[in-house]
Parts: sequence; structure tokens; C-alpha cells
Amino acid sequence: MSMEKPGFESTQEFFDQWLKTYETTCGRLVEMPAVGPSREKSEKIMKGFSSFVNLYAAWMDSSINFQSVSMEAMRRMHEKTKSEMEGDISPEKYKDFYKAWIETYSETFKEFLNSGHFASDNGRFMSYFMEFQKRNREVLEENYLKPMNLPTKAELDDIYKELYSLKKTVRELTGQVKELSEKK
Amino acid sequence: MNDLILIGDYKKFKLGMELFLSPPDFSVGTTPSEIIYTEDKMKLLHYIPITEKQHPVPVLVVYALVNRYYILDLQPDKSVMKKLLDEGFNVYVIDWGYPSGVDRYLALDDYVNGYINNAVDKIRELSGLDKISLLGVCQGGTLSVMYAALHPEKVKNLITLVTPVNFDTDKGQLHAWAKSLDVDNIVDNYGIVPGDLLNAGFLLTDPFRLMIDKYVGLFERMEYEPDDAVCQQRNEETVKNFLRMEKWIFDSPDQAGETFRQFMKDCYQKNLLIKNKMELNGKRINLEKISMPLLNVMAEFDHLVPNDASKPLTDAVSSSDKEMLVFPTGHIGIFVGGKSQKEVCPRIAAWLKPRSLDGSKEEKFKQKRKNRGSKVRIK
Repeated sequence: MSMEKPGFESTQEFFDQWLKTYETTCGRLVEMPAVGPSREKSEKIMKGFSSFVNLYAAWMDSSINFQSVSMEAMRRMHEKTKSEMEGDISPEKYKDFYKAWIETYSETFKEFLNSGHFASDNGRFMSYFMEFQKRNREVLEENYLKPMNLPTKAELDDIYKELYSLKKTVRELTGQVKELSEKK
Repeated sequence: MNDLILIGDYKKFKLGMELFLSPPDFSVGTTPSEIIYTEDKMKLLHYIPITEKQHPVPVLVVYALVNRYYILDLQPDKSVMKKLLDEGFNVYVIDWGYPSGVDRYLALDDYVNGYINNAVDKIRELSGLDKISLLGVCQGGTLSVMYAALHPEKVKNLITLVTPVNFDTDKGQLHAWAKSLDVDNIVDNYGIVPGDLLNAGFLLTDPFRLMIDKYVGLFERMEYEPDDAVCQQRNEETVKNFLRMEKWIFDSPDQAGETFRQFMKDCYQKNLLIKNKMELNGKRINLEKISMPLLNVMAEFDHLVPNDASKPLTDAVSSSDKEMLVFPTGHIGIFVGGKSQKEVCPRIAAWLKPRSLDGSKEEKFKQKRKNRGSKVRIK
């Protein structure tokens, strides 16, 4: 692995190496089935940790992509302004510089954000983020809310579902009653 | 010279900051209205007519679920609602409210066959008419299209404004991103999908302009003439208008989970609506059932709902009286831009008026336009 490579290739390489090492060492320990009286809780906590690593990996990928786009935008900006940046910088020049900066960065980022690569990357990141939040909530509910005898989101959802279904039934019955009374 | 420019910019900035430190009062949605029907969090508002006589057929405006309806009534001089009232229409709008946890199981069927249908029935009851006009905006237009296909007997005219019906296009970023989202994962996790999450997506369509340049532009627009009272008033108006728009942009209601799930999967990911394969509670939505007059209005530079997403509606319906209008503006500009008041609203009103007449007059109008086919106009 060379740390002298340009851009973010070396960051990417370093991170890939780190992930491989994690997966073959700590990752395997985390995935190990839990045993003993608290195995259910322990396993949930460990799965939560795994989902955090997945999220971290997706986050690193996204960060590296965004940094590469920033570098490209900076390169384009330099191309555009290298002749104008010589000598004193007047406020008028500063305004032109700002205009060029916002245009260049906006266009470069739009190109990236329009790409299929970003769309799939973003989808992947969102999935890991949701998974991480779900695991986190499960751990919180299992270890804090339930022992404190406080309602959990899952319990509230059950009530919401029941309420929704009851409301729907009441509406349907009200409609039928109205129809029947109009017929009379 | 350079020093003068610097001082001028600093003074503009200072002026802007002073206005922000003692912000002018501003309000949105000021056109007078009354609530005539409520159901759960939904409210049906009736705008108080301002003309002596109104066209017989009332208009129900259906706005999107993802933002608030008052973009159509942002300020008195930029109000689609007021313009419609000026033109003599009897206008109603649905305010969807802010869904919370208890609404997570509300499905698309509840919105279309429940809330919209009940609002339409209420207006029919009040007006004594069998049919009313529907004006659907953005996602609200998609819901209106679904409604008109399922209940054509209650819709006299259908107007769709920047409305997506064909979701299989690579021209809009949102369309491309939505295909890669694991919607089930999002809905199962949140239940109620946070409006802020959707807003982050909208901001990401052009992050540098929407998160930096917009604010720089506000200070650029300040005029520094301390002794000129008219100029001070103009600055205050600039800040007020900016804050109104800023409020609207970030006033994003959360989304009922099941509705979000079906809308994203059936529309954005499977594109079922335009294929006549989408179902609501087991009832198939066949766009060919839309036989009433249709006006399909688009914005040429719409980055959220590209024209490719709206145009196919015109061919998908069976209406013989249909027209398409494309204005050279953007998705938001079509409601609040200069063209909105001067061109968009008057054109909609001109189309709707002869189609909102009572029986005998309407027959005459139908005879007049009998030999004319569908039209596409680019303003």
C-alpha cells in the first residue's frame, strides 16, 4: 500500500485494508453466537455493533467520493481562475471569484449527484443508516425502556394499528347506517 | 474605487443583519378563508369569494403531502388563490395538516378515496352540483389524477399543475435517487417518515445554490440608501419575501408511512400509474377513465418534476377536450414567479371559465370547440 498516491486512492486503500482486517478478526468475534442467560440481549448488542461497522464503511465510501468531487471542483476552479488570481485581488475580482466558485462547485457536484454511482451509493448508505437506527432502538427498548416499564415504539405501533383499523371500521359502518337511513 | 466597493458591500451586509436582528412581521396564507370540514388532521378550507358573482362550478385545489399548501398563497401579490378569486371562482383547498405517529398506517387509499372523496362530497353538497373542478398541484396532482380515474362521475374538469404521472425518467434527480432507495427499510424504521429527511433530498439537488448562494443573494439584493424611506421599505419587503419562502421550504410535514411506501414503490420504483396497473385497496386505476376536460400545465425548467414525467398524462386519458401548457419557468416559479400572476393563473382561469358554466351556456361552448382537437402550447 502506497501512501504517496495522489488524491484519495490511498485513503480508500487504507480503509479497505482496515475493513478486511476487521472482518477477519474482531468482526468474526462480534458475529459469534452468544451463550448464557443474557445471550438474547448480548446478541442484539453485537448485531448493533455490526450494523455500526456497515454504516461506518458506507459513510467512509461516501466521504471519499465527496472528497474526490471536491478535489475535481477545486481543479476546475483553479483552471478557470489561474490567470485572474495573479496580482492584487480587488473586491470586484473577489465577486467574480465567488461567482466562478459557486458555478463551478454547483455544476461539478450536480454532475456527481446526477450519476448512477451516487444514486446507488446513497441507497446503500440509507439502508445501513436505517438498519443501524433499528438495531439501536431495539437495544434501547430491550435494555432501558422495558426494565423501566415504559412503552416502546413497537407497542405504540400496535396501538396505532388497532386505532387505524377501528377508525376505518367506524367510518364504514357510519356510511352504511347513513345509506340505510336515506333508503327509509 | 476598491475601498468604496468594499464599504458598499459591508454596508449591505450590515443592513441585512440589522433587518434580521429586528425582523419585520411577515405572514403567509393571508387570503381570508373558513374551515368548512375536518377529518382527522385534514381540513377543507373555503376561500371567501371577493367577486359579486362566481362561476357556477367550484374548484378544489389539492396540494402535495410533502410541503404546505400555502405556497399557493404565499403573499397577497403572489397568490394563486387570490388570483383565482379575482377571476370569479369559488375556491376550496385541502390542508393535509401534520401527520404524527398515529397516522403511520394511513394508506394512499385513505387519502384518495377517503379524504379527497369526502372533501369533494362536501363541496358537491354545498354547491348542489354533481361535479366539481379539481386543480391538483405537484404530488397533489398525482392524487387528483388517481381520484379522477376512480370517481370520474364527480369531476367536471381536471387541471394538473407540475404533476408527475410517468416516473420512469432519468431527467429528474429525485426520480433517479428514488429507484435505489430501500423504501421498506425506511418506513419500517421511522413509521412516520420525517419531513426533514425529504428536505435533505431536495437540498441535495443543488446544494451550493440552495445552501450558500441563496443567502449571499439576499444580502446582495439589499439597497443602501439610509435617507430614502422608500428604499428602506423595499429592503424590508425583500427580507419579508425571503423569510416567507424560507418558512415554506423548511415547513415540511412528516409523511404517513404506508402512504409513502406505496407512493414510492408503485409510482417512483415500478411506475405503475401510467401503465394503468396501480391499485388502491384492490381497485385498479385506469387513466382511460379520465374523460373530463383536462388541462396539463408544466414548467419548462422544472428540476423536480421534469416535463417527461408530466406530458404522458395527456395521451393516457380518454378526454377529447385536453390541452397542455408549458411555461418557461421552474417548479416553484410557476406558483410564485412573475409569470405565475401574469401568465399562468390567467391562462388557467381562461381555460376553466367556459368549462365552469351552467347547462345551456356550456352546451354553446361545447358546440364552439367541437371541431378543435387537443393542443400543446408553449408560452
